[in-house]
Amino acid sequence: MAASTSDSDVAMSSGPTSASADSVDPTAQFQYSLILQHLIGDKRPIKDLNPAVMGAMPSPHKTDQEKMIERGMESCAFKSLLACVGGFVLGGAFGVFTAGIDTNVGFDPKDPLRTPTAREVLKDMGQRGMSYAKNFAIVGAMFSCTECIIESHRGKSDWKNAVYSGCVTGGAIGFRAGLKAGVLGCGGFAAFSAAIEYYLR
Amino acid sequence: MDPMKAQQLAAELEVEMMADMYNRMTNACHRKCVPPHYKEAELSKGEAVCLDRCVAKYLDLHERLGRKLTELSVQDEEMMRKAATGTA
Repeated sequence: MAASTSDSDVAMSSGPTSASADSVDPTAQFQYSLILQHLIGDKRPIKDLNPAVMGAMPSPHKTDQEKMIERGMESCAFKSLLACVGGFVLGGAFGVFTAGIDTNVGFDPKDPLRTPTAREVLKDMGQRGMSYAKNFAIVGAMFSCTECIIESHRGKSDWKNAVYSGCVTGGAIGFRAGLKAGVLGCGGFAAFSAAIEYYLR
Repeated sequence: MDPMKAQQLAAELEVEMMADMYNRMTNACHRKCVPPHYKEAELSKGEAVCLDRCVAKYLDLHERLGRKLTELSVQDEEMMRKAATGTA
């Protein structure tokens, strides 16, 4: 590519100069390299790259604060925080609901035949709701964080991001119970994510 | 041709060059980074990251090639000058 560029350059500069080579002194002929140096080479001026100058529609500049807020809202940390809070709320609701349809709520192991008081039942429901909420929050935050990181790394936005991050999340959760459970968790969660993505897209 | 005239000519050509470069860059990066699935109006995170990288690479390429091209053209004209003064 370098050879062909130099060939075309020689052809270009020899075109107009060969006509005037006899009558004009050598310094006046050589225009192209000087223009090129001022245009794309080392002597070019520092440009203010405004979209209106370059041909796009002129738009008002965004303030630095606006840019910072937008960058924060698009960041992976904010998205995983959002997923964490959402998971917490959803998990709490789900936990209280399952506690509501469970017959063993408020069960006292020391005295199994006694019916539990309302306060005991409510406390047990609250504990179960909190436990579900924490689990859902952690899972949601992990999934969202890994999906955002994988999407940023790949630079594409398609269904594979959710599948990969589902495998990572499921694998991380299942890995605590051994390697086989990790692999199973990876496969299960990835399949679940794939089904959700198929439904959503 | 004195440097002032060259600078003026370069300034005139520059507007057109920048507009052309901007158009080509927009087309190329749009073709590479934004697949034609328009389910939502906002750019997703992956697409935004891809566009940042595309623009950075394009401008880097533009600068490197510009420097290389001016180097080559200066070399060629040195050669031509030597050939002209040699024969003259």
